[in-house]
Amino acid sequence: FSPHPSHYLLSQVIMKITRNCQDELDKQLDPHVSGVLLGLINENKRVLEVTHCFPLMNSDTDESMEINREHMLEMERSLRSVNIDYQQVGFYQSTYLNTHCDRNFLDSVFDYLEEMNEAIAIIYDPLKTKLGHLSLRAFKLSSAAFNLYKAEKDFTAEMLRDNMVTYENLFQEIPVVVKNSSLTNVLLCELGHVQDTTSYFTLPTSSYLEKSMQLLLGGLDEINQDLLKINKYQKSVYKKQTDMMKYIQDRKEENDRMIREGLKPLPEEDVNELFKDPAPVGRLESLLSANRITSHCDMIEEHVKSGIGKLYLADSFMS
Amino acid sequence: EYGEFQTFQHYFKQINLSKMAAEGRTVAPPVRKVIIHPVVLFNIVDSFERRNDNCKRVIGTLMGRYDKGVIYVTESFAVPHQETDEEVSMGMDYAMRISEMQKKVNTNMYTVGWYSSGIQINDYSSLIHSFYKVQFPSPVHLTLDTALKEQKMKINTHITLPIGVKNGTEGCIFTPVPHEIKGSEADQVCLKFFQGLKGTRKTPNFNDPEQIVHSCDDMMAQINVILGYVKQVSAGEIPMDKEIGRQLMEVVQSIPNLESDTITNMLNSHMQDLLAVEYLTYLTRQQLAIGARINQIL
Repeated sequence: FSPHPSHYLLSQVIMKITRNCQDELDKQLDPHVSGVLLGLINENKRVLEVTHCFPLMNSDTDESMEINREHMLEMERSLRSVNIDYQQVGFYQSTYLNTHCDRNFLDSVFDYLEEMNEAIAIIYDPLKTKLGHLSLRAFKLSSAAFNLYKAEKDFTAEMLRDNMVTYENLFQEIPVVVKNSSLTNVLLCELGHVQDTTSYFTLPTSSYLEKSMQLLLGGLDEINQDLLKINKYQKSVYKKQTDMMKYIQDRKEENDRMIREGLKPLPEEDVNELFKDPAPVGRLESLLSANRITSHCDMIEEHVKSGIGKLYLADSFMS
Repeated sequence: EYGEFQTFQHYFKQINLSKMAAEGRTVAPPVRKVIIHPVVLFNIVDSFERRNDNCKRVIGTLMGRYDKGVIYVTESFAVPHQETDEEVSMGMDYAMRISEMQKKVNTNMYTVGWYSSGIQINDYSSLIHSFYKVQFPSPVHLTLDTALKEQKMKINTHITLPIGVKNGTEGCIFTPVPHEIKGSEADQVCLKFFQGLKGTRKTPNFNDPEQIVHSCDDMMAQINVILGYVKQVSAGEIPMDKEIGRQLMEVVQSIPNLESDTITNMLNSHMQDLLAVEYLTYLTRQQLAIGARINQIL
């Protein structure tokens, strides 16, 4: 698992992703759009270059998943004939406000990583881009988390501790570098100064903040539920211990009594078989929730910081 | 590879195109303007850079939709083709197949034309154009000058109009059509971001406060320009322009005219909301971190 310093993206890819996600958003069919990234690994510079991408349909039903698979194979074959890199290096997904950290995402990242060590997942946030900041982040499972997930699909607390996996280092964020060829730069010059209608000066609107807070509360609720489950589990473990002790104690007393009365003692039974261990609670969901909550907090903090500045600006205008 | 290529003679024999044209079956809808999405241009440049060594130009299909005299071009893909002095051939099956696939993912897109790199339009262009005419009655031909003649990358869009004598020698002529490069808001954000990177290959800067400072500087510069203009007009150096004056009035009046008390109250309450939210998020984050550390220790 060699660490790569960064990943290059061609600007064309960014435009395609943006266009695809924005279109789907406008059509309001489904805000969750995904697609495949293609590219190659540059061994000399040890970077991953993403040079092309194409969208896939929503894979909700089995039928659409089958269609997607065929689509991918067809594209691979066709792109070869026009000299486009056809190796899949990851996937991209559009999600609102960092709600991407769930089981499906983890599974997809894991699948791609299994095939290729350097696969990445790109998350595009259309809302944030509308506010004026291009929001494109690349993620990858950290090597510790990858090894753990490979071994076991659900974790217990001991496994997490042993492997030093916390919610912070579950996903590793990779810096994204945009690279353009010279001809593309010429095209950019030709496109000239773009009329920028989006303003960075939108005041921190309550709807964006409200939505973020709602998501934060949702995440906290989930963690709370997980905590309750963990508590219950610990109580049941404790209960099992006490029950076991009590049983052994009773048995001993019985045996002593029997020996005193001159009867044969009862056979020793294996205590462990009588009292089964309660099933340990999986910690994966709480990890993911914690991750999600932290990213929400980060986002809100950033938003608030710039919001305060903008408020002062507005103040100076109006007074 | 050659299995995919079909020469035009073979193809035309199959569908008897000339017969169709003679019956006037294809009715070309009027095309007054072409609106191109920036992604298409990036695609063309990219496919040009990936061409085989012996090709002088690349061609490909343009996809999009047509609406009331305007063609919207939103997607494109390269099509393998070969061109020699004697003949030209292209992968027509390939083009049809890929356009079908694109239609599956994006249901309201269809073939609306084709592109080629290099500004030259020759006989081969009209042959290729006739192929595309079958799929869309009035295809648009986009050329992107990758050879950078005149130190610029010129983009031209053409459609063909029939000329000639009916029942005699007929042909078609490529006439230019006005075009516009337009994208949605998000695309503009992207483009602006790329403009910032032009020439340098540095890491993108998604940092909020720095961008605000940058926009502030921009705005200050713009205000200075306007101020200079207003000063010059009031000193009588430049004649008045009613249109500009009206727009300036609109800008100045768009600031809401409220009492200073209400303004301060609003701002203060807003500020307090933001601070409360920031405090809560900070608290949440510390709580999570503490929980995780305890988990490590116990």
